Amino acid sequence: MDNRSSVSSINGKIGRVSAAIFSVCILLSAVFWAAEGAGSNAGPPEQGFSIAVLPVENLSGTKAPVKDIRALLIRRLKAQGFQILDDESLEKFMLRNRLRYTGGINKAVAQAFKTETGVGSVLITSLELYSEVNPPKIALTCRLVSTGENPVILWMDGAGLAGDDSPGILGLGLIEDPMALLEKAVGRVEGSLGRYLNRKPAGENVQSVKRKFKPETFYRSDVLVSNARYSVAVAPFLNFSGRRNAAEILELQFIRSLKKSDQFDVIEPGVVRQQLLALRIIIPEGISLSDAGALFTLLNADLILTANVVQYEDYTGSFGKAKVDFFTQLIDRKSRSVVWSSVSHNEGDDGVFFFDRGRVNTAYAMASQMTRWVGKMMLAQGKRAEEAGEQGGENKMIEKGKQ
Amino acid sequence: MALFCLAFVFFTACAGTREVYRDPNMDFGAIRSVAVMPFLSLARDNIAAERVRDVFINDLLATGAVYVVPVGEVARGAARAEVVTPATPSPEEVIKLASIIKVQAVITGVLKEYGEVRSGTTSANIISVSLQMMEAQTGKIVWSASTTKGGINIWDRLFGGGGQPMDKITQDAVRDLINKLFK
Repeated sequence: MDNRSSVSSINGKIGRVSAAIFSVCILLSAVFWAAEGAGSNAGPPEQGFSIAVLPVENLSGTKAPVKDIRALLIRRLKAQGFQILDDESLEKFMLRNRLRYTGGINKAVAQAFKTETGVGSVLITSLELYSEVNPPKIALTCRLVSTGENPVILWMDGAGLAGDDSPGILGLGLIEDPMALLEKAVGRVEGSLGRYLNRKPAGENVQSVKRKFKPETFYRSDVLVSNARYSVAVAPFLNFSGRRNAAEILELQFIRSLKKSDQFDVIEPGVVRQQLLALRIIIPEGISLSDAGALFTLLNADLILTANVVQYEDYTGSFGKAKVDFFTQLIDRKSRSVVWSSVSHNEGDDGVFFFDRGRVNTAYAMASQMTRWVGKMMLAQGKRAEEAGEQGGENKMIEKGKQ
Repeated sequence: MALFCLAFVFFTACAGTREVYRDPNMDFGAIRSVAVMPFLSLARDNIAAERVRDVFINDLLATGAVYVVPVGEVARGAARAEVVTPATPSPEEVIKLASIIKVQAVITGVLKEYGEVRSGTTSANIISVSLQMMEAQTGKIVWSASTTKGGINIWDRLFGGGGQPMDKITQDAVRDLINKLFK
């Protein structure tokens, strides 16, 4: 009896200890996940939530099969098992809420989406380039924005492809059918979205950004702290280039690049647009400090990014080269001063010497890397910044403040 | 005597016209912030002036010596000061503008040439810019400089090649002007 009672008491103790260890493990893992969630951008939503796919915003400046692109996206997402809001419900919602602008959503629309349709997020697609002239070219960007009180960019990615990106031996890799190229581009975007929604690691290699796409010169104030987290509003850019919608296209490129960095929370451009409209702010020659002050307060942003697009050129057919040239400035909320300034200029054949190796065929692909560099260098400090800044001894990196 | 003549020929051949004016009474160290006005373009390319201005603002900021007010703030100030032609403000307008946007100097510029020049069968890119700095308190010109970069040289004539890219010579010209400002 004594033996049995001692065995049972030992068993009880072991049970209590293991239960305590188990509960501590659960507590620690909960704390770990909570900390990780707090330190990163908004995580992927729960499974089973539905997506509203907005009509494609055509920024290409040409006639393009935007309905086909949207249908293709919906088909691919449905095949992955995601719930998509049906067209009839979406049309009714858009009519009811007089939603005509499909390039972003503001707070009121995001709230209405949540309450009226019950969707968890909205997929916004912008077509940036579409050319059917052989070799075809296409560039598109998609972003997933949450619905509810505070619309947040959950995911953003895109693809810029040309039919002759990988011609291969004897031109066997050439893509001459525009629809085949479109399918490839949509597949790439849908794959990235699928990875995000299924909580799989992103496929893109961060180190793959080429050094030739760094800014030519830049200024960085020491007001910017390298390990801090910033909320950024992207103000409308000024377009001096001959390309229609070049400012909007480059804005999307910057949003995507900054979103990829863990240190920037980019405010949904639809929300920024709504505030600019509400304040009746027009920016014909760049944002003034008083307008910036109003935006800082209303959007609760730490930084405002503004830029001038001087060149954003694509070419049709086989001959020509893509050109991108822009000037960027970042205004800080606390100091009310410019804390970052850079000039970036690249052409598709930069650093190309033999057999077109390393050539970039679309302005999208080039701007994507150029904006990644700007985002990367904004918060690089000390030695890392010097390393990031050196480029054949031509770049400057002066870390001095205003005074 | 022959040696003297030879030396005279060599030294006078090196002499050039001065491309910089600096007010000897001006304390340039007191200038902490400046406004760069839109450049006047005499070139065929409409966006060239904006590009050169952007590069100049960026490089001037990168020196760390002076702060350059954002272009949007300059535009707001020019509108409030009722500057008729922002590229060529009068001294009175400069004083008024500087007091609104709180700068110690205003820089204006003229883009005289930008783009391709051709001579016979040879072509090359060229840029020619001149800048002026006006003091905020008096509206007086305290610094002026000009530069020309690119163009057709003997190697282009002999071997062709088309000269250097436009962005490269723009950068060279801007750096030359900034060197002249801080010399």
